[in-house]
Amino acid sequence: MAITILKPLPPANTQNAATAYNSDSDSDGGVDLEGDVSMMATALSSKPSRHVGGKGYDQAIVTPGEIITEDSQWMRGHGTYTTPDPYAIVASVAGTLVKTNKLLSVRPLRARYTPEIGDLVIGRITEVQARRWRVDVGASLLAQLPLSAVNLPGGIQRRRTETDELQIRTFFSEGDLLVAEVQQLHNDGGAVLHTRSLKYGKLRNGLFLAVSGTGGGGGVVRARRQAFTLDAGRAANDKIDVVLGVNGYIWISKHVEGEGAAAESAGPGITRVEESVGLNVYSSQNDAIAPETMREIARVRGVVEALVQHGTRVDEDTVTRGYNEAVEMARGDGDGPDTLYLGGERGKRLVDALKGR
Amino acid sequence: MPLDTSSAYPLALLRVDGRRWNDLRRLHAAVRTQAAADGSAYLEMGNTKVMCTVTGPSEENKRRTAASTATGNTGGAGGGAGAGGAEVAVEIVVGGFSSVDRKRRGRGDKRIHELQTTLSKALAAALHTHLYPRSTIALSLHVLSQDGSLLAALLNASTLALVDAGIPMSDLPVACTAGLTSAASAADDPLVDLNAQEEQELPFLTLATLGDTDRVMVLVLETRVQAARLKDMVDLAADACKSVHKSLREVVRRRGEHMVEEGAVEKGASMAMDMDIDV
Repeated sequence: MAITILKPLPPANTQNAATAYNSDSDSDGGVDLEGDVSMMATALSSKPSRHVGGKGYDQAIVTPGEIITEDSQWMRGHGTYTTPDPYAIVASVAGTLVKTNKLLSVRPLRARYTPEIGDLVIGRITEVQARRWRVDVGASLLAQLPLSAVNLPGGIQRRRTETDELQIRTFFSEGDLLVAEVQQLHNDGGAVLHTRSLKYGKLRNGLFLAVSGTGGGGGVVRARRQAFTLDAGRAANDKIDVVLGVNGYIWISKHVEGEGAAAESAGPGITRVEESVGLNVYSSQNDAIAPETMREIARVRGVVEALVQHGTRVDEDTVTRGYNEAVEMARGDGDGPDTLYLGGERGKRLVDALKGR
Repeated sequence: MPLDTSSAYPLALLRVDGRRWNDLRRLHAAVRTQAAADGSAYLEMGNTKVMCTVTGPSEENKRRTAASTATGNTGGAGGGAGAGGAEVAVEIVVGGFSSVDRKRRGRGDKRIHELQTTLSKALAAALHTHLYPRSTIALSLHVLSQDGSLLAALLNASTLALVDAGIPMSDLPVACTAGLTSAASAADDPLVDLNAQEEQELPFLTLATLGDTDRVMVLVLETRVQAARLKDMVDLAADACKSVHKSLREVVRRRGEHMVEEGAVEKGASMAMDMDIDV
């Protein structure tokens, strides 16, 4: 048996533990003995204390079960619950404290995606039912996509008939990826999606990537534009579409003129949908993609992964700048511009270069 | 070598591994050990080493609900798991290499099944499952090394992984064991955080409390003890739980501070500063 020598931690003393959490009583003599732990508890309790501001605890991380305040002037928000007697607002997740006027909430260090109306999400079909699809969007519940909330091929506007129901798999079938918008929320937090715009629909010609969504450290953040087109350096007509789903799912694909989520302004508006929705919107067949384009798609993926690994937010700005930086790095390194590797030291250098500006 | 508690302990008041009666073993823990999982943790209590990953809350496929997973809702133990709440599914895998003698344990092992049910019910009571109706929170626990206090280690690891996954809970569930020396009258102190050797020889119980309150979530006692000594054991285990709670909270806090320093999370508002202005 291999022997490993581990550095021992300072011994835990069972005797003193009982006094560690009494910080809300004024006549608390045990606080000083305990050092670090009770200092934090005191700093967060409503009573002013001589420990406040000591040893960098102003970052105010709260953990589940920690009393945030006993003052009844505050209202509880997300990530907290209240105890009735004695009144206290207690944290229920680990995270940082957020104060909005008189509302106290805790922003979790990491959490699953919670859908909100208007979010641009990327999802994968998990289940096909009679009149709707069930879509995995990384939330606690599967989202629904009703048959009536998709465009018919050719852009014909009519009621969905039984024939459509029978042919439901010709639109989306299990495992298909799609980009959609959250149209409606149920009481239990489940989302209803729609793809009734040229921007939305089935995804092809590209690569899927999942990073942590909103509410986590790093990852995709809600921004003005979630979908955009990158100019991939060499050939002028070489363009890459990037769709950053708010749920942390990302789609990087070859740019096709007048198609895809980034074609917001270029394409016709939703009112003229019938003229432009081609018959191939529900095609699962990839177009021919040049090896150069594939390489640039892989490079964008490397950039996004490096951003996530080093805890940077992922949005249009960071991805665009990161991509340009990565191209420069590959050129400057001497390994040739074809080098795609952005892990380890190279990823760190890339993110440092982005943060430095 | 048999554990000679009757003679050695009263003389030196030291246990086989050199601890005093109220010494916990070294507790080492890390959160977010696996990037791909929603939440993950690794925990060592002495030589008991456990790994935990959390998936969810997510909507369970009906096909996947296997018989091997214990459900938290069925018992309705304590608050939390109401009718519309999330289900807590626990799966424990004990590595064949984890103990001294290599033992093959199948899926249908009664002991593992009991551990799964105990954990699932306890966690369902502590978590705010009502926030996630129709979802499942799946925990997968891997036992890498066994040296006593297995249930306690499993529960502590689950707690950390669930905190990492950002699932709301009323407080951190923490657990510890306490045992009784066979010398009934000589030394009155029960022992805390037993290792495998002590567990085999002595009567012991596993106690889990909700945070550092004295609210008991789990109390498992499989051996005979004198009824009069039970209170001492429970008291001591509850005290030990407070120590464990302190350590686990520190692990979570360190992780959070690290993330704030890196800039991955925005800085939080401080309650105390604001109060100073008000006063």
